[in-house]
Amino acid sequence: MTDVLALSVFGVDWQFVKPFIVIGLGFGGVYALSGVGLVVLYQATGVLNVAFGAIGAAGALIAYYLINHTSTPQWLAFAICVLFGGVVNLAYGMVFGPAFARRDPLVKMMGTLGLALILLGLMAWRAPAGGAFARFLPLPSSQHLYSISGTNVNLTQIISVGVALALTAGVTIFLRVTSLGTAMRALANDREITATLGVPVRRVEAAAWFGSGLACGAAGLVLPDLLTSLDYAALTFLVISSLAAALIGRLRSLWATFGGGMAVGLAQSVITPYQSISAYRSSAPFVLAIAALLVLSRRRVVTISRTAG
Amino acid sequence: MKLRRALTTGVLAALLGAAIIATSAGAASTAAPIGKGKQGAAGVCGMGNGKKAKGAPIKIDGLDMLIPGVDFTTVGKTAAAYFACVNDNGGIHGRPVKYTLYSEALDPNQEKALAKKMIESDKAVGVVGNTSFAECGTNWKYYKSKGYVVIGAGVQAECYSKPSFAEVNAGPRYSNVGAAQALIKAGAKKLAIASPDTISAYADGGPALVAQKAGIPVKVFPTHLPVTDATSQLIQMYQFAGNGGGILIDFTPDTAPAFMKAAQAQGIVSKVMWGSSTPIANTFMASQFSPAFDGHLWIDNEFSNVDPSVGPDSALMFKVLTKYAPKIAPQAFAQMGFLDAKFATNALLSIKGAITAKSYNTAVKKLKNQRTDMLCKPFYVGGLPYHIPNNSNIIVDYKNGKVIQKSKCTEFEAVDKAIAQTRVWEKKFHLIGK
Repeated sequence: MTDVLALSVFGVDWQFVKPFIVIGLGFGGVYALSGVGLVVLYQATGVLNVAFGAIGAAGALIAYYLINHTSTPQWLAFAICVLFGGVVNLAYGMVFGPAFARRDPLVKMMGTLGLALILLGLMAWRAPAGGAFARFLPLPSSQHLYSISGTNVNLTQIISVGVALALTAGVTIFLRVTSLGTAMRALANDREITATLGVPVRRVEAAAWFGSGLACGAAGLVLPDLLTSLDYAALTFLVISSLAAALIGRLRSLWATFGGGMAVGLAQSVITPYQSISAYRSSAPFVLAIAALLVLSRRRVVTISRTAG
Repeated sequence: MKLRRALTTGVLAALLGAAIIATSAGAASTAAPIGKGKQGAAGVCGMGNGKKAKGAPIKIDGLDMLIPGVDFTTVGKTAAAYFACVNDNGGIHGRPVKYTLYSEALDPNQEKALAKKMIESDKAVGVVGNTSFAECGTNWKYYKSKGYVVIGAGVQAECYSKPSFAEVNAGPRYSNVGAAQALIKAGAKKLAIASPDTISAYADGGPALVAQKAGIPVKVFPTHLPVTDATSQLIQMYQFAGNGGGILIDFTPDTAPAFMKAAQAQGIVSKVMWGSSTPIANTFMASQFSPAFDGHLWIDNEFSNVDPSVGPDSALMFKVLTKYAPKIAPQAFAQMGFLDAKFATNALLSIKGAITAKSYNTAVKKLKNQRTDMLCKPFYVGGLPYHIPNNSNIIVDYKNGKVIQKSKCTEFEAVDKAIAQTRVWEKKFHLIGK
């Protein structure tokens, strides 16, 4: 065991790297959580929702406002943050989903980019960056600290990985055993045929929009605690790492997306102490996504866009 | 019956009269002028006569940086509040000050254009309240060519090495020097320092020299703003400093909390000694991080403690903010803006004759021995080739949600020749009194 602990990785010892692994797993959980949400929505509707981060950020800001400027209990503000993600996603899906249903996936994605920009504008207007004092949205779980093999781990980091794992497993089972899940899988294969078979397409899509929105709200709630600040720009760009995770999962496999999210989180964090490459940590999601696509494309054709309808 | 009616009428009249008196007294107390008193005395706004200034306005402009993660407009907004108080107290011999504040986003072209606008388009006689990561470097030559001396709060090297600026603060380099000195004195055996990457070379260079001189290992962590992963950086700093080491953070209240929250989440608050430059020395931050950080902080404060009981100027700042800028919390950046405007007002009031850009900037150059309870040493300009009048600071800490003074005014180490030279000039030219 001692030998393992003393293992030197590129000149940096294991003891030195351990805290960064813990941090990376925490972030990885959030990326996986939102990545799975992205994949479920994409499978059911063909929409790659790039507004994911912005919706989560807006929910987090609302929760911050409720906690700090009203007498709303914390638990209720947190619930509103998660629900906000579901409601906004659902509203967008219901209003714009049918209009975009027959359009190219790129057009569908650009629609969500519009939503992201509107939300970013609103956040910049109502909660501008700066303003002398920082905003926080700490979760009570960050107060609980455990020492695992000499490294501090807080409960939020454990929750982040746990929720991502539970969501991935839960959604996998849901898609296999429930009629709604079966309908979603059918939609993923062919929207037109599924509709002619009598499946209520709008209702199934609504469930996908709402469900993935809840995942996005949950990510918006956990990430500020891991970041130790509520920066809506950083939260909005969460979508980049989540997209990388979803691409690693080929926008199809939930477990591969989960693994991708964890890998992106770990890669970003573990290279931090390596001075020569730490400046490139923000590139980690792209590098991993490209590497995964190249490796996977050796065996099969990788499709990152679907034929409409 | 008549008696009862008379009594009732009398009682009602008495009650009505009492109500009117009480109301007018209340109104008088809420509308009571602040900053009234003898001109030139501490705790007084300008002429201090309580009369509204009505003459032709005197144009003063200011330029502050506003980027994600750092908001320096608090400085200019507080200067504006002080000028409003001056205008309610007779202005400058009856003329009000019209203060216009611009903001810039760390773009040199924008900084140049705004400096030109202030001086050539707005025709401001003076520039007051500037604070930026880069504006001193961009505009010092222009201000010099126009004969302007900006009274502001500096950040980068040019603010303290060029004749165009007279800063009321010590700036991050010297504030970090003070904090590093305090940490080493308290027993830190290693020092990890972090500043925004845009000013790191200058701001971290000073404390690094202090550590090297003391024979202590030191490592600098330039930080890109806005910070996206404070925890990872903090762990790197902790791994370098080790238990009992010193971690010095040099960030504004927009960014420093991310590191402090990360320290709490990682359980390392009590394992190291925490140093900081001035910006986190305020009640808001203390209320957020007390009691967790109580006793663990060595914050170099370039000003007096932010507390109305410190003296008349401190008390006045609280009143000015309450009345004219209620959204601004009392803090170091407010002290900077208050002092900028106070000294600019003193320069304006000292002018005999027409108030022009030339007469105002000449008056600024003549400022010396400007005493205030907010500074350890009197402020001065003195027409020197550069100005570092704020070179003696206090160390503060948090306790029970408040900022408390940990040590008295101490001159920070002369890590640069300019500091030693400044102290020679202070004596030679009687800049801080005889």
